[in-house]
Amino acid sequence: MIIQCKHLTKSYIADNKVFKAVDDVNLEIANGDFAVILGHSGSGKTTLLSLVGGLTRPDSGDVLILGKGNWSQGDKYLSTVRNKTIGFIFQFASLIPTLTAKENLLLPLYFGSDSRADREQAMVLLDEVGLADKANSFPAQLSGGQQRRIAIARAFMNNPDIILADEPTGDLDEETENDILQVFKTFNAKGMTFVVVTHNSNLAATQENARIMHMKNGKMTESA
Amino acid sequence: MQINPFQRQCNILDYALSSLWRRKLKNAGILVIFSLVIFLVASFQLLTRSLLGTADEILAFAPDITLQKLSAGRQVDMSEARLAHLAGIFGIAETMPRIWGYYFDETNGANYTVIGLAEEKIAAAGFPLTGQEETGFLKRGGVIMSPAVRDNMGLGERRAFSLFRPDLSQVSFRVAGVFSKETNLVSGDTILMCLEDARDLFALDDNAVTDIAIYVTNPLEIDNIARKIAEMMPDTRVLTRSQIRKTYQAVFGWRSGFGSICLLSALASFVILAWDKASGLSQEEKREIGILKFLGFETRDILALRFWESGLVSGLALVIGLTLAYIHVASGGALFQPILLGWSVLRPELFLTPALQFSDFLLLFSFSVLPYLAATIIPAWRSAIIRADTVI
Repeated sequence: MIIQCKHLTKSYIADNKVFKAVDDVNLEIANGDFAVILGHSGSGKTTLLSLVGGLTRPDSGDVLILGKGNWSQGDKYLSTVRNKTIGFIFQFASLIPTLTAKENLLLPLYFGSDSRADREQAMVLLDEVGLADKANSFPAQLSGGQQRRIAIARAFMNNPDIILADEPTGDLDEETENDILQVFKTFNAKGMTFVVVTHNSNLAATQENARIMHMKNGKMTESA
Repeated sequence: MQINPFQRQCNILDYALSSLWRRKLKNAGILVIFSLVIFLVASFQLLTRSLLGTADEILAFAPDITLQKLSAGRQVDMSEARLAHLAGIFGIAETMPRIWGYYFDETNGANYTVIGLAEEKIAAAGFPLTGQEETGFLKRGGVIMSPAVRDNMGLGERRAFSLFRPDLSQVSFRVAGVFSKETNLVSGDTILMCLEDARDLFALDDNAVTDIAIYVTNPLEIDNIARKIAEMMPDTRVLTRSQIRKTYQAVFGWRSGFGSICLLSALASFVILAWDKASGLSQEEKREIGILKFLGFETRDILALRFWESGLVSGLALVIGLTLAYIHVASGGALFQPILLGWSVLRPELFLTPALQFSDFLLLFSFSVLPYLAATIIPAWRSAIIRADTVI
């Protein structure tokens, strides 16, 4: 298993009340899976993704990536996992506003290999998301959808084993959404593992081999 | 493939540079203020060092020992006859009776230092001159003056001028030469004349002098000879050249220290401002760090990034401040001359060569770059421990 979640629990305090965002979730994702986690807003999908990606520390339970516990290792290990093993796509574009599209794309390379081929890969990815001509544009000069596509391209920069995507096609038009899903399909066919959280059930329908799971009130159930 | 630690630091440095450039307006503001404060402190430091160096050069012309008579704790005239007593002390190469007094020029509102020397001794005293129009010994009625005195009197190309005796009768003089600019620190307000002319000007007794300059054969014996003179003439003050040098150091050191304390307070205020500025992280900065964290930056990388940013700003400010201070001092140190040289009416025109010693550099580094780095280290740590999920 490339991802294992064991009795994962995470609570937040809101208005002096404890709110369980993720409640004893057990999950196993195999290498090359395309897992889609469906759920309404506030069901705990984003928190689960953050726990899996090692961005948030769980209250209890553990996440194993490639057999190693995220939180039993140090900061260095977690940073390497975030840099090399996982590519993140968030609900928001999460670009650095003062860097150009290409510079944003190259950010993960700061601690990876810094070869010419990788830099050329940035242009290939920009081309795949249809924004090769926007390489030198700043985020403020791009539309929300274009910014989202840059962030998606960046997630693939280090050729990670896993892509964790939170509402990846949230504010894209239908045509662009289809293009992005095609990109996902292509990389998934090459063996890249995808965990996508969304409230859009159509997205799951477009991926033939998708594993569909549901989240509600922090609990997870898997469709047969 | 993992990159090596050196390449990693180079990449962080690269990011730090681009980060500074992206916030160029804010960082330029900090750089300008910081450079200005360092410039002021460094100017003081360099100017003091340069003045002491210049004073040392000038003291090369000073006698080894200066003898003055005291009465009721104040300096008074003494008889030239005392020279005969000195002749008995072995090791004295030469003695030079002098009259050293001050003349207030009411018309031009300035005080001049008048020095009277025996005619045959003036050439031996070795004052560097420019525009000397009379060769050989200075004759009666002839004077050598500083360019500042000549200009203050408005003599221009004229050579004849008059000064007033205490009874307001006039004495006429002619300009026989002008001191060279290298001696300006001590000769800036000086008029040099014959002993007899000085006596006449100040209406002193025929054989009265204000002090006696003594030159010693062996420099190692100066203190011994000074002690012998003091024992032989207990009513005199015996000043050695090294004592005068110490006085210069004390005067310039005190003034410089006072000024430096004021400026260091400004530096401290700036560091507090830097601390305050760096402590408050904006939402944009937090978000940026969150993005860097989920892309693989470690806590230590963010710390290194902040360290590079602070180091680059403070290091560059040190270089700029020091360079400007060097240029400022080399061009005369106009900003601090009034504080370091006093408030005399005729201020000497100085040609200073700034001398930056390693200890000065270390001192400035310790009082500028280090406090700035220290002031930004805790804010840097605060930003470095921002959680990666901040961006979500």
